[in-house]
Amino acid sequence: MLKYTLQRIVLMFFTLFIITMMCFILVRMLPPVEIPIEDPHSVVIAQRREAMGYNKPYLVQFGIFIKDIFTRFDWGISDKLYFGQNVADIFIEKLPATIIVNLYSIILSIPIGILLGIWAALKKNTWIDHAISTLTMVVISVPSFVYAFLIQYFLSYKLGWFPFLMKGGTDWFSPAMFVSMLPAVLSLSFGVIAGFTRTTRAELTEVLTSEFMLLARTKGLTRRQATVRHALKNCMVVVVPAIFGEFIGIMSGSLIIEKIFAVPGVGSLYINSINGRDYPMFMMLTVFYTVIGLLASIVVDISYGFIDPRIRMGSKK
Amino acid sequence: MKNTTKKLLASVLALMMLVSVVMIAASCGGNKPVESTTTESTQATETTGPDTPPVERVIETFKGDFTYKDSVGTMATNWNPHTYQTTDDSYPADFLRVGLYGFIFNDEIHPVEGKEAYKGYKIIPEMAASMPVDVTEAVKSAHPEFGIPASATKGYAYTIDLNPNAVWENGEKINADTYVYSMRRLLAPELLNYRAQDYITGSFVIANGDKYYYQGTTNLSDNGAGAGYTKADFTKGDDGFYYTPDGSQVYIGLDFPLDWTGGDTLKDYVEAYGSTYFDTSTWEELSALIDEDGLVAMTDASYELFLPVITGNPAWGETEGDAFNYFVIKTVYASDYDFSNVGLYKSGEYQITIVFAKSLAGFQLLYNLTSNWIVNETLYEANLSKVGDTDAWASTYNTSVETTLSYGPYKLVSYQKDKSMRFERNDTWYGYTDGEHIYVDPEDGKTYPMYQTTAVDCQVVSEAATRKLMFLKGQLMTYGLQTEDVAQYRNSDYTLVSPSETIFFFIFNGYKEAIDGREANEGFDTTKFDLQTMTLTSFRKAVAVTYDKEAMCSALFPDCSGGYGLIGDMYIYDPDTGAKYRDTDQAKQALCDFYSVDVSKFDSLDDAVESITGYDPVAAKELFKQAFDEAIEAGFITDADNDGKSDQVVRVEYCCSSAVTEKMQQRIDYLNEKMADVTKGTPFEGKIEFYPSAPYGNDWSTKIRTGLSDTILAGWSGSALDPFGLSDLYVNPNRSYDAKWFDATKVSVTMNVPVNGKATDVTLTLKDWSDALNGTTVTGANGTEYNFGEDQAEVETRLSILAKIESTVLQTYDYIPMIQDGSLFMLTQQAYYVIDDYNPILGRGGITYLKYNYDDAAWNAYVASQPDGTLSY
Repeated sequence: MLKYTLQRIVLMFFTLFIITMMCFILVRMLPPVEIPIEDPHSVVIAQRREAMGYNKPYLVQFGIFIKDIFTRFDWGISDKLYFGQNVADIFIEKLPATIIVNLYSIILSIPIGILLGIWAALKKNTWIDHAISTLTMVVISVPSFVYAFLIQYFLSYKLGWFPFLMKGGTDWFSPAMFVSMLPAVLSLSFGVIAGFTRTTRAELTEVLTSEFMLLARTKGLTRRQATVRHALKNCMVVVVPAIFGEFIGIMSGSLIIEKIFAVPGVGSLYINSINGRDYPMFMMLTVFYTVIGLLASIVVDISYGFIDPRIRMGSKK
Repeated sequence: MKNTTKKLLASVLALMMLVSVVMIAASCGGNKPVESTTTESTQATETTGPDTPPVERVIETFKGDFTYKDSVGTMATNWNPHTYQTTDDSYPADFLRVGLYGFIFNDEIHPVEGKEAYKGYKIIPEMAASMPVDVTEAVKSAHPEFGIPASATKGYAYTIDLNPNAVWENGEKINADTYVYSMRRLLAPELLNYRAQDYITGSFVIANGDKYYYQGTTNLSDNGAGAGYTKADFTKGDDGFYYTPDGSQVYIGLDFPLDWTGGDTLKDYVEAYGSTYFDTSTWEELSALIDEDGLVAMTDASYELFLPVITGNPAWGETEGDAFNYFVIKTVYASDYDFSNVGLYKSGEYQITIVFAKSLAGFQLLYNLTSNWIVNETLYEANLSKVGDTDAWASTYNTSVETTLSYGPYKLVSYQKDKSMRFERNDTWYGYTDGEHIYVDPEDGKTYPMYQTTAVDCQVVSEAATRKLMFLKGQLMTYGLQTEDVAQYRNSDYTLVSPSETIFFFIFNGYKEAIDGREANEGFDTTKFDLQTMTLTSFRKAVAVTYDKEAMCSALFPDCSGGYGLIGDMYIYDPDTGAKYRDTDQAKQALCDFYSVDVSKFDSLDDAVESITGYDPVAAKELFKQAFDEAIEAGFITDADNDGKSDQVVRVEYCCSSAVTEKMQQRIDYLNEKMADVTKGTPFEGKIEFYPSAPYGNDWSTKIRTGLSDTILAGWSGSALDPFGLSDLYVNPNRSYDAKWFDATKVSVTMNVPVNGKATDVTLTLKDWSDALNGTTVTGANGTEYNFGEDQAEVETRLSILAKIESTVLQTYDYIPMIQDGSLFMLTQQAYYVIDDYNPILGRGGITYLKYNYDDAAWNAYVASQPDGTLSY
């Protein structure tokens, strides 16, 4: 396992390097954001690009980028979206809002999703199963911004239970902040609940029809005992990595939901940095999310071995 | 006991009913519910003029908290006056900064002679203590380094006394050193500040500012977009190279992005189109001379090689007179240029002297000084740093509460990136105590202090749907109406219209050569389709009267109104009086001429103009018939079966900058639908089709200019105070969309205008008329020089010239005016503007003149008392 893990980590750095270099070059190959040539400010834009070294050969620029990270851990200064400000500071400042909203969302949705999935599986082919499955399909099919607007309209406007927007400030764990986050949390949760319901139901349904379940029942276990002790554990081989994936995904944010509820998170940073050709911001986000993604895949792969000891990755036996 | 309780309950009930009746009455008060604030009277003494005795004036005061609840789509991230780039970033400026001079409405306290109260405006010193004093003569002799022309006697240098009461929010004084320091840092060459260009280009040009900013560099400038020199202006040096009058070397920009081509280069075109459009016989030899900047130094030899390229092929359609568009001026700036040579210096503890490179006077001077460049030295330096190992510098000044110091009416007290910002009253601002920032309410005649708002809460609300819900719950002060809201709220008492300057017009392709080229392309089926017919004036004239502009606005652009001329309703020709161009007889006559309205049939010119709708389906049908005959005769279309209908469909490509959106498709569908209605029974019935182009991005203007796309709804927005400057947009080949098929440098126009006090017939080209109107001295065919610029000719003469230019351009039918831009928004019941009428300079006065019906606490109670807590508009 250790050898496998080390191999994956080495491979991860190699992959990270390739992705980083590709993204670095590709984003710089995009033409700069055009401003009318008759606008006298175009002169300054051109001068600043020159001064920032954006006219140097791409590989030279990439070398400087890597050097700055390794020697000073300097990710650069935003040249467009947050002019003059350190991109890492901006990201760190905006990350908590995204994390907390997503965290509340998965804390709410994973148990509900799994429970609904179990219920549907146990009541397979009954009206309960049909209702849950149909609802799940509907929820998965409808984009989350639709729920967002419905929640905003009914819960905030009509009933007045929640504010329209997330509260300002950084008192992330205050009751007022929690209440203000709920519309966004609920909007994010529907999809996650539906996803887990569907996965759990599918896995558990399959496990419940397995022969070892029959054996468990014949050796005298009640249905509840057999389900809890054997079926659920087996079904978790698929569900638990999905939970890991959700937790890792909490840092990416949701562009639409954050916009609708004014969550001051990182959801729109990526797209804005590409549109604005804010190279330092784009590269910092690229590296960060690539690292997160690669780490996640390693953690998920390794987690299989812990959840189900029969799975031995990298083993030749 | 029981009886006592009953009586008590009955009394309470009766009292409650009485209160309810009063509240209902209050809530039915319409636009302005009963004010919940109490006022206190204070005494202040002021004078209304030098000859009038002091008037004792009672200034009302406001009690309570009045929070302006605002929203933006994008939150400002950098409001540094030296580096901010976007309109979003300029949002905090209105609260934190004040110009040297400022605009306020005219009223009893600030009267303007001949102007009814609130019908005009007054410019008052703000950060300045008094009006600028012209010291051109004195500075010219004492400071030759500023290069004031020997002939200049005024308009180049001014001293400005500064307001000694102006301080930063922390109490630090603002004096002449602040202004000089700030300008030095603004123009610092190493900082490459975005806003430096605002002070070294355009009309507000600080003397030698460019030399300081560009020191040690070489600058390449597009001659066509800037100086506009012709070859005759250059002198040939002993080295055989050509130089401008100020000694800069002249180049020919072959692989250099040019303004008039929208950033494309001549090389791009020659390589793309080759001998189809150009004479390429000398191109190979010429292009071998291109240097690393994409230029070729101008010599007799290189010019000889260059000229045939643009003039040798009629398809490109240029003459030697167009060559100036390709010239590039290379200016080499000296190193180590000292700031003491720059035209802004301290002439007293509270006095600065500004010297300009171009003369600037009167309204335009004051207008330019309504913005300010000052920064707090300590904070500015503390937030300046070099970017890594690069040559660039970055500043975090004015990016957070900690890095912001206000000197305006409000100060920043909280800021969260991409979320919210809050401003509160800056009690150190001089305006709250100087006795100048007060006004007389036209409704009750009482005097009030400006800026009743005590705090501004601004948050990001990206979605219009959310903004609307919040507005209806009283959580926002304004809501910009969306298309889908207009029907419901257009007639609301709370809906306000804000017109804007821009006129949107259809530009119609008339570039026959380009159209011929497109038809000649393989794949274009001339038996089914036609493009050439749209170049016929009769056809374009028919299109011009096909669309009911007001109906089109109602259907597609509900916040706009019909547009009829090239120059919009909001352009002011006399900033001192606020008089609008469109209200003049000359402008009205131009419209009547264009729309063929016989003024003699009406009681007045006003009635004649009122009758113009721009929509005449009967005339359109006639014109389409005429166009059909002409097109048949010219061989553009055929009628093989002699059914009296065109065999071909005239296809008009609607130029799209992006992929077709739902709105764009609606627009195109509307054009086709109305065209189908009008062409019924004509030879073009079902034979004219608008279709969307591929997404051209920023290339759209080039496509239109080069005749590769056929029409687009576009417009120019210029300075609302300079309608005369707009004429250049339609006659300058560098700017006009139709330069390829309408050469304003060759169209002669004769006008009878006063010259040296005598009415004279003057014949000039349209371009020369425009240049002369905008202050350039031009020479007529008889060798006489003319200049009809500001202060050079009577305003009536200038208006007549502008109207003639407008009328002449309209007659080409290259531009078909359609829409007068504007916007509709609703204002909260919590507050109202002191005036209803929109003023092109001040709007409705903004937060300065916003008056509240309720303070915050009363407002919350009022909203809560509404059914479902929702306001009805």
